[in-house]
Amino acid sequence: MFLSNFLFGQNTFTINGTIKDADNGETLLGATIEVPKYQSGTTTNEYGFYSITIPEGTDSIVLKYSYIGYQTISRTIIANKNIVINIKLQPVGQVLSEVVVAANGLEEKNKSTEMSVATLNVKEAKLLPALFGEVDIIKTIQLKPGVNGGSEGSTGLFVRGGGADQNLIVLDEAIVYNAQHLFGFFSTFNSDALKDVKIFKGGFPSQYGGRLSSVIDVRLKEGNNQKFSGSGGIGLIASRLTLEGPIQKGKSSFIVSGRRTYVDIFTNAINKANENKEGATKIPGYYFYDLNTKVNFELGPKDRLFVSGYFGRDVFNFSNKTFNFNFNWGNATGTARWNHVFNPKLFLNTTFTYSDYQYNISNKLTGFEFNTNSNIRDANLKFDFHNNLNTNHNLRFGGNITYHQFGVGRLKAGSTDGKISFSAGNDFNGTEMGAYVADEYQALKNLKINAGLRLSSFISSGNVSNLGWEPRLALNYGVNDKISLKASYSRMYQYVHLISNSGISLPTDIWYPSTAKVKPETSDQIAGGISWLLGKHWLLTNEYYYKWLGNQIEYKDGAQLFANDNIENEFSFGKGYAYGMEWELEKKEGKLTGWIGYTLAWVKKGGFPDIMQGRYFSPKYDRRHNLTVVAIYELNRRISLTGAFVFGSGDVGWLPSGRLTFQNTTGTQFDPVIPVYGDRNTFRLPNYHRLDLGMVIRFWHKWGESDLTISVYNAYDRRNTYILYLEPEYQTVNQGGVNIQIPTRIAAKQISLFPILPSITWNFKF
Amino acid sequence: MKKLIQYIGIAILLSISVIACNLEKEVEIVLPAYERQYVVECYLEPGKPFNLLLTKSSSYFDSISLDPAKYLKDLLADSAKVTITHNGVVHELKETLYIDPTTNKLGNYASQDLVPADYTNEFVLKIVTKEGKLINGVTKILPIVKIDSIAVEYQDTFARVLTYLTDSKLTEDYYRRVLNEGSLDSLPRQDFANDDKLYDTELVAYGTGYNYVKGDTIFNTIFHMTKDYFDFFRTINIAKASNGNIIAQPSTITSNVSGSANPIGIFTGLSYDRKMTIIK
Repeated sequence: MFLSNFLFGQNTFTINGTIKDADNGETLLGATIEVPKYQSGTTTNEYGFYSITIPEGTDSIVLKYSYIGYQTISRTIIANKNIVINIKLQPVGQVLSEVVVAANGLEEKNKSTEMSVATLNVKEAKLLPALFGEVDIIKTIQLKPGVNGGSEGSTGLFVRGGGADQNLIVLDEAIVYNAQHLFGFFSTFNSDALKDVKIFKGGFPSQYGGRLSSVIDVRLKEGNNQKFSGSGGIGLIASRLTLEGPIQKGKSSFIVSGRRTYVDIFTNAINKANENKEGATKIPGYYFYDLNTKVNFELGPKDRLFVSGYFGRDVFNFSNKTFNFNFNWGNATGTARWNHVFNPKLFLNTTFTYSDYQYNISNKLTGFEFNTNSNIRDANLKFDFHNNLNTNHNLRFGGNITYHQFGVGRLKAGSTDGKISFSAGNDFNGTEMGAYVADEYQALKNLKINAGLRLSSFISSGNVSNLGWEPRLALNYGVNDKISLKASYSRMYQYVHLISNSGISLPTDIWYPSTAKVKPETSDQIAGGISWLLGKHWLLTNEYYYKWLGNQIEYKDGAQLFANDNIENEFSFGKGYAYGMEWELEKKEGKLTGWIGYTLAWVKKGGFPDIMQGRYFSPKYDRRHNLTVVAIYELNRRISLTGAFVFGSGDVGWLPSGRLTFQNTTGTQFDPVIPVYGDRNTFRLPNYHRLDLGMVIRFWHKWGESDLTISVYNAYDRRNTYILYLEPEYQTVNQGGVNIQIPTRIAAKQISLFPILPSITWNFKF
Repeated sequence: MKKLIQYIGIAILLSISVIACNLEKEVEIVLPAYERQYVVECYLEPGKPFNLLLTKSSSYFDSISLDPAKYLKDLLADSAKVTITHNGVVHELKETLYIDPTTNKLGNYASQDLVPADYTNEFVLKIVTKEGKLINGVTKILPIVKIDSIAVEYQDTFARVLTYLTDSKLTEDYYRRVLNEGSLDSLPRQDFANDDKLYDTELVAYGTGYNYVKGDTIFNTIFHMTKDYFDFFRTINIAKASNGNIIAQPSTITSNVSGSANPIGIFTGLSYDRKMTIIK
């Protein structure tokens, strides 16, 4: 929000209301309300609500309501009383609303105290070329500076040197743990159901806590409250269908959105055809599905109720006469939210959320069965007050309490008759709390400050409690209308940790609470930068950051992760630091839109007593250079051309530098090549780059619209490194009556994951 | 319709196969610099001569001689002075290429003295390399945990083998289970180590699937390991498994030998019980 600069001592009045899309009734987040007479204004909050206070006067005052991609509306009022003005904005036109849409205008972004933040538009993301034609909002976020995507095709997020678990991902305010399908190749977010996605990389607002490196705030659509409509698509990997409509026109609505893959339909058919064929190998089955649902009700002029839910699952299975394997994992979230307007200045959001992530692996052989699972469940209650205190101060305050329940590494294995039995696993619980207050105020004519304080705590099942003070500060100094200087500081605490023993995110990664031994992780981040509006349509931002990381967790060398009741004993604790520079040039309007982003960054971790004698090393995601170029060109009303070019320095890898020969004991084999690993991550993989191209061709029908989206992923067929390994070749010789294997040659080999991959998707809406 | 789905499925799989050609290739890389290290393997088996294998590791891409004699000459570390002290008695292991006739396992330092069945006192290893650097190690021989019984159970014409042992709940124990078929020279069908925290009861059973038929010979070996040996064995396996495995994290090898020579290796007592079973 940006504020007014009125004189003190005057009588004031407040205008408040909500801003919505005139076509479908969706609230518009971050829409702008300007008062040109006073050179001031504000924006709608994440619930579409706004409140602005202006001095009393007898002259008429014009209020301008605007949102990119929508027609601007003006209202003329006399400021002699508090007024409620609810606005419906009309989309400008079909073409523009599809292509050139952004949740925040570049001018507002320039003036805002918010920095280190990117707002992603779902419509824009849908136009970009996508892996297998599956639009993925997380993969779009990976194209932003400061965000590293991890290995090829993965939906992992490594933000400003932070690990994959240091991102708070919320869907309608409910936390989503392990937000991915198919071992990280796709995220759990169905773009058809999404309204708004915002990522904070630093300068975290006080209402957010619990993770060190980023907040990804995903908001679902509310559903068209004007008319019944639908949309969907049929693609190479999955199909989608979304239905939405009014329950009571203008007052309440619903939306249901589902997605499912169908390669298992084909593999099941092939397996059935080969059922009686001698020697035929059965193909394992795999599928995933998502379901998002939401209803919302206007209970009166001051009250709104929303209920939403998400359910998604991945299922991988294989069975034959003696073997039955099933691996499934997924998330379920639920949100119930109540918005209440006490008076023109005071708005309350109360939310109850439930989150559940679990995986389960079961394996049945003849006479033997095996089951392992882990889960994390949360129940969370939060309150957020927005108080437009006066012309110069805008307060936010609130709190939350979350009950966590963790099931860690449960294992049960043995014979079906009970004669053989093994088991392991632990259950924990913990309560996490937070309270915050923040004030955004106009300190000087050109200086806006957002200052806040968050107090967080965590009480674990062993009655160990931790308390954390988290100051937050963000400044915006307007040099002139075009240039702003920004700075921020944030301290964050993280009480729930993702324990992952690999460089990629897996569904079997374990969430673990802070305990007496496992202290909360901390980060302190300072950032500074410049924001420069070039003309009307270009915004250049340049930011520098430094982040101190405390109580970082790594696994010791040789950590025993499987079937370990005392997994804490495998942790080592240390610290780290990350620093870097980000450039971004973005264009949001016109025939050509997109952005160019460049990041230069370092991250190091060290001080772990059990790792490299405490010396510092690079984590796997220490990528030095990252360049992305994203372009969307509106050729004409029917055709859009899109492209994305990505370049990154190779990730660091841990390769063996030596080898030894291991004879072993009686009854076992002589092993001539055992890798000897030295210091961690000293090898730099080859640089990564690829070009994705896309084309969208639109059609109009009596019943609605459709388009064909053609994507070519990795258009020039670059064979990027996915795995690098060392392969010995052997020869067996007899020496003195002993057979020994001699390695005759050792080769380094590279495996790439994706060659050039064309795809086509048919999308429709009615 | 079913046929159509089958054909589409085959077409998709074929397309993926064609597009996915040549995703693997050989590349030239430069690995971090590596200095050769001494590698010690010494297993003290009561009733058998003291025997130790001392080799040297290599840089991963070091050239390899195809001549077995030259290969062994480069591999085996010579001219070291090796002693094992137990109860004040110093046993000197002389440099000798020693092949155990029953196990076909190599050693290059051996003594005529036999390892005593002492489960109480420590054994202390000291090696002075030809460069004058030191390698030290200390270990004990754990008591054998005997196999209580072997049970063979049948389903149709197939059989499985259950191996029972008793684990003490009073001590923290580590076990290695090795299962060979046919002969002890064969590649083990099972070879893994675990600690006793997994066990729900004192009576523990290791099993197999219904994989065997009449006449099959099974060798069951249960090692009672020291924690050092367990950690060494586990980290060796992790190092092997993580090469080229994107979901595994590599590991340095945890050794229980140390000293100015910066060695890798294991010095441990070998306590095991072994039973041979012929499926009838």
